[in-house]
Amino acid sequence: MSDSVFFAIAPLLVVSLGGLLLMMTEVFATRRADADGPSSDLAMGTFITMLAGAITAFALWLVGPDNLAGAKAVAPYLLVDRFTLFFDMVLCLGGGIAALLAGGYLPEHKLDRGEFYPLLIFSTAGAMVLASAGDLLSLFIGLETMSLGVYAMVGFRRGSMRSTEAAIKYFLLGSFAAALLMYGGALLYGVTGKTALAGIGAAIRAGVSSTDWGILLLSMVLILAGLAFKVSAVPFHMWTPDAYEGAPTPATSFMAVAVKSAAFAMMLRVLISVFGDPLSTSWGTGWPPVVALLAVLTMTVANLVAGRQSSVKRMLAYSSVAHAGYVLVGVVALVEEPGTAQGSIMFYLLSYTVSTAGAFGALILCGSRGKEAVSYEDLAGLGKRHPAVALIFSFFLLSLAGMPPTAGFFGKLYIVSSSIGAGLHTLAVLLVLNSVLAAYYYLRVMEYMYMREPAAGAPIAVPMRSGYVRAALAICAVAVLVLGLWPTSSLSMAIDAALALR
Amino acid sequence: MQSLELIFFIVCAIVTIGGGLITIGSRMPIRSAMGLLTTIFGIAGCYLLLAAELLAAIQIIVYAGAVVILFIFVVMLLGSAAVSPRDAGSGVPRYIGAVTFLASAIGALSFVLYRPAPAAPAIDGAVAEAATKAAVKLPALPEGFGTIEKLGHEIFTQKIVPFELTATLLLVAVVGAMAVARGKQHDPTRQLKDEAGAADADSNAEEAT
Repeated sequence: MSDSVFFAIAPLLVVSLGGLLLMMTEVFATRRADADGPSSDLAMGTFITMLAGAITAFALWLVGPDNLAGAKAVAPYLLVDRFTLFFDMVLCLGGGIAALLAGGYLPEHKLDRGEFYPLLIFSTAGAMVLASAGDLLSLFIGLETMSLGVYAMVGFRRGSMRSTEAAIKYFLLGSFAAALLMYGGALLYGVTGKTALAGIGAAIRAGVSSTDWGILLLSMVLILAGLAFKVSAVPFHMWTPDAYEGAPTPATSFMAVAVKSAAFAMMLRVLISVFGDPLSTSWGTGWPPVVALLAVLTMTVANLVAGRQSSVKRMLAYSSVAHAGYVLVGVVALVEEPGTAQGSIMFYLLSYTVSTAGAFGALILCGSRGKEAVSYEDLAGLGKRHPAVALIFSFFLLSLAGMPPTAGFFGKLYIVSSSIGAGLHTLAVLLVLNSVLAAYYYLRVMEYMYMREPAAGAPIAVPMRSGYVRAALAICAVAVLVLGLWPTSSLSMAIDAALALR
Repeated sequence: MQSLELIFFIVCAIVTIGGGLITIGSRMPIRSAMGLLTTIFGIAGCYLLLAAELLAAIQIIVYAGAVVILFIFVVMLLGSAAVSPRDAGSGVPRYIGAVTFLASAIGALSFVLYRPAPAAPAIDGAVAEAATKAAVKLPALPEGFGTIEKLGHEIFTQKIVPFELTATLLLVAVVGAMAVARGKQHDPTRQLKDEAGAADADSNAEEAT
């Protein structure tokens, strides 16, 4: 059985089949008029599907991808290695948490329609394809599957102009970025005559003529621009705050977590397998200076702008842009310290996933219908009125800021140490300075929650009651704590996964 | 490239780019749709040049035959409401943007294509020489390239994985389109509409009596 193709791509199959099954049950389910909306059971079904996907991926990890004979049949379109499996787990985690958050958020805000969950599941499946794609064809299909689902989720609140605007903006810019990526890919194919990433990389390593090298450089620029858009690096970030703010918060959390992780997985694969030759990775002729510039711009601009936001959701959006900048520092370090840098990137993405999903979840929990937590003022005095909610929000904010007993601390620590190991002292210093800058606006939320009193007559946020959101927060909190106290085992998993990508 | 093919390519390219310019430049949506149609025919011509006859036919059937027609239906249904109004602001920032983009694109292209030969430390002369020779020669077309038979064989044997993944892509597109289109019924104004509907029903009942 273990040589079957189906066994090799089991995580993807489990998630997709679960999605189909849920769609069918939603169609044929009969609901009484007074019953709860579709979220009441779809959210749990979606979470279980994602959990099953993550567990399958972990099982394959234990079996060892090298023992899966069936994996050869789907290569190079889907590569089954530890890198893929690691990202499968991270993406399923992000998608599952988003499903739980949606289970609380959608009914509360009268958006309770069953389509959200299949979109979430198939977007996650697209993200998993993207993370495992070893060929330009499947890479592009995965990217589009993921993006189309997310576009629809962003525009899910049709009654709101802001949501529709966000969806249109994201859709147009996203299509443009996909076109840039595809153009870059077409040029790569034109030069090397291959679509498999490994084949393209081998052809480039074998040497190209100077004209072809020029075209390769052009395609590298196009692909980097497309990737930078997808991970929302400055200056390709303009859509991020609008799309994140307009989307329903569970969709925002999914975008910040799963879409970003999958985009970084794609970036790592493309940069390592295609542009991994000495010429492309040199500081004189290749991508490192470009990515370094992107990293510096992303960190600095995002942190400066985030500090001036009045909406907490928008602040979290800019903070997710800033985190992309920290990861990009790790990407630059790939050249000198391939194993540790990549392991640190993947560990960072894992810790960032649980911290960010938790922060967005806490923001959801802080508000209820008509009394959402939007601005800092809405949160004033929350620490006194609802200490438990404020405490858990603060916990995730501290993790995002990188305080010691949390996952965020080790994430940053590993990125900094790998960039110092790679000799990138300036970038490491800038990263640390930026974390200090970021602490300002994370702590500001806590200042409002604990040290301010709401102005008389001002709207205040009233926390919602939802078992789903609480469950999601509990999962995130445990994960943040475990990663913060015992990071070694997950880090060694990340490094194992990183070594698969050679 | 033989000269006849070159001429054909240049004609196709001009048709494609000209159609694209009409599409984005025209204020009348119907003209934009026609511009798009022109572009699609130009691209179909390029496919013919690449010996992908089936793809050229599909391009015309699907895009020209279905997609553009749908656009035109929508434009017709909207009628005069579809004409975009003149912007109140001046067009200067837009032109500056367009010129900047064009200049940087041309600049980047010329930098890439006409800069001095790169200092290529990794490639010694002989390898570069061989690579130049190898790169110019594209592989000969395999037997039956571009035919339905060959394409079907390719899709259902070697490229079965991306083909199946496309099914997921289409499914997401359908569900997404439904979610966005159906969402209108659930907007906050629904209450008002329901009340209006109830009022209509009342008046109907009165007429019946």
